[in-house]
Amino acid sequence: MTDGFDRSEFVGGYLAEVEEHLGNADGQLLKLEQAVRANAPQLRMLRELFRALHTIKGLSAMVSVEPVVELAHELEAVLRTRDRTATPLNATGVELLFRGVRAIALRVRSFAEGKPVEPAPQDLLLAVAALQTANGELPKGELTVQVAPELLAKLTPAEREQLNQGLASGQRALQVDFSPSPERAAEGLSITTVRERVGALAEIVKVVPRSVAKSPVAPSGLTFSLLVLSNGSAEALAEAAHVETRELVALSPAPSDSEPPDRESSELAIATDTIRVDVRRLDDALDRLSSLIVSRHRLERAVRNLRERGADVRELEALLGEHRRELRHLRGALTHARMVPMQQLLERVPLLVRGMARESGKRVRLEVDARHAELDKAVAERMFPALLHLVRNAVDHGIESAEQRRALGKPEEGVITVRCTQRTGNLLELSVGDDGGGIDRARVAAKAEAPVPADDRELLALITRPGLSTRDAADARSGRGMGMDIVRQVTVSQLGGELSVRSELGLGTTFTMRLPMSVSIFDSFVFRCGPQSFVVPLSTIEEVVELDSAQVVNAPAPKRRAASARILRRHGENIPLFELSSLFALEPKAGLRSALVVRREDARFAFSVDHMLGQQEVVVRPLEDPLVRVPGITGSTDLGDGRPTLVLDLWALQGSAGSQAVQP
Amino acid sequence: MTVLHVVFRVGDGEYVLPASEVLHMESFTGATTVPGAAAHVAGLVQVRGRVVPVVDLRMRFGLPRVTPTIDSRVLIVEHGTRVVGLLADAAREIVRLNPDDLRPPPELVVEQAAGYVTHVVEVGKRLLMRIDSTRVIGEESPDGQRS
Repeated sequence: MTDGFDRSEFVGGYLAEVEEHLGNADGQLLKLEQAVRANAPQLRMLRELFRALHTIKGLSAMVSVEPVVELAHELEAVLRTRDRTATPLNATGVELLFRGVRAIALRVRSFAEGKPVEPAPQDLLLAVAALQTANGELPKGELTVQVAPELLAKLTPAEREQLNQGLASGQRALQVDFSPSPERAAEGLSITTVRERVGALAEIVKVVPRSVAKSPVAPSGLTFSLLVLSNGSAEALAEAAHVETRELVALSPAPSDSEPPDRESSELAIATDTIRVDVRRLDDALDRLSSLIVSRHRLERAVRNLRERGADVRELEALLGEHRRELRHLRGALTHARMVPMQQLLERVPLLVRGMARESGKRVRLEVDARHAELDKAVAERMFPALLHLVRNAVDHGIESAEQRRALGKPEEGVITVRCTQRTGNLLELSVGDDGGGIDRARVAAKAEAPVPADDRELLALITRPGLSTRDAADARSGRGMGMDIVRQVTVSQLGGELSVRSELGLGTTFTMRLPMSVSIFDSFVFRCGPQSFVVPLSTIEEVVELDSAQVVNAPAPKRRAASARILRRHGENIPLFELSSLFALEPKAGLRSALVVRREDARFAFSVDHMLGQQEVVVRPLEDPLVRVPGITGSTDLGDGRPTLVLDLWALQGSAGSQAVQP
Repeated sequence: MTVLHVVFRVGDGEYVLPASEVLHMESFTGATTVPGAAAHVAGLVQVRGRVVPVVDLRMRFGLPRVTPTIDSRVLIVEHGTRVVGLLADAAREIVRLNPDDLRPPPELVVEQAAGYVTHVVEVGKRLLMRIDSTRVIGEESPDGQRS
């Protein structure tokens, strides 16, 4: 599947935005420098700087400039800690931030020029990370326990030393979190009593009150973190202090190399409300779940066989029913974990609109209404450029200039509305509307040399024709004759959604995308077998083997066509070789063929196919209609030819082929 | 009171479905075969961004399969939450039928059409057969499992 969007256009937008925020960051740093000199408050500059870097990080993540993301993240973390702990930076600290921002600017420039982007300098990252705790110098007594930065910042060098020495003498460093609540107060548990009880069993190094998000565990939004050294077990301490064990976090020694503590995992240890998880981990979990579903099908078949032989399987069937529900819930939970709030996704749009509006000299206000809508990260990533394109079009083509608007009796400031609502089922409706001039049908028709569209549907068909531009003079941002066709391709072909438009001359235009909230996307092998192409997930294939006769051994004559009677000899191993074309009753093509080797646990199977067509990332839609629910076929995808291509689960296919073979 | 019906041809027979059941019609240039699906499933087509299974009415009515022609049409039918395509040899006409004119099918037709025809109606010299889309689409899944 093609990337779809004109990269240079997208990158152009990125650069414009990042430049702006880098400029802002420099300005704030200069002010900060003055504040340090004058010993004036820094909070406002710290926050402005944080915002600039946070945006740069978000934008860079969209175009995958990892070193910039890494640098911005590190700088941002320092600013966050400083803000929270209200510890001002000194001149050395500010200088380090300057270096950090310069390093970002340098990499952005390389990226702009299409050169390889250098990795983030490790020494700088380390020095910046150290800023979270000290005033620009790496602390001498580096703490060997993992503590959340916010706690670490509260520790004096002496207290750090105390913790280190305790650890060195074989004691355990523990963190006891206690959140006061009316219930606990009724049981006689307050910070005073907890402190007494813990103090009787362990050496309290520091008690840090922290404000946390309100939750059932911490109804008051306040948690006391007790950092203690103890000789006993965490459980004993928990019992004696009447705190629950889950409130105890072992502060494990930091890795012996000089890397800064992994903030991600320490934040995780402090049981915050949100954690950041690599999406690949969730995908991995989903993959495992699919294997579970496959083995469940086999279990069902086994139970069915038992029943047919007259066995009493009522209990087994009840268990299977329960199992099915559990699996469904698990799937739901995992799918849910991949969802990102639209609100968060749309955070960046106002800045983009501001930039575009300024560039085009128009006055534009953006209204965003996303409420609680969520969608799958993978859908979000594909949808977002299309959304940006619609917004850009609204600014460039939709909204009139301030003078024109005044002449028309409209407010000078145009309004663009991005609205996102969750529809029933798995659908999300996303609209981008403007109160601009609307689309001039006659002009579009003339441009496309086509009849004037009679309604909005025909209009959409016309403006999503490849290569149509409605603007006479092509400008830098849009109107280069591509865009709307891509928006449609993303919405309809890639994501399986719908696109519609409503446009009234003089009143404005609204585009509406209806998208599935989740889809499944993976890298795949595409191959041909008989007259058709097929797709298998890359992750399920151990190896692709070019077949030549020497490797293949014919076994005794097959009883059934489905069952393979051939063996692939590979690395001294005999692998059963199934012929996919005969399994599928398709006419195989002559000539050189390949085989896909599938492995699960210790068993291997191979499938011969006509030839490999390559690798591709595909968006898979499940095949749900009973007419086409077949074991081994999990879904369909569009490889870009507008026809469905089947997605195979070779392991399940092997299961059905195998069971056919053993059954009389 | 008349009701709009879509007329389509399968083999020599002319059939009708209420227009309210038909979302739209598409020409047919072949479908993606789904190995392992029932014989009457012609495969999958992608229509307006949607992947739709197609039932080959010729196979359903016991006629030999033919290669698609320029006249071949897929009637996209909405059936509860399912959307299914019905492949006909041609579909060119829409007629208004008076529900009172629909009669139970003669014995011979019932036998031939295996219960797919619920009514017949005479329009001039033609005999149009009203099919039961639920029956034609079928509820069964190939491996006997239900969703």
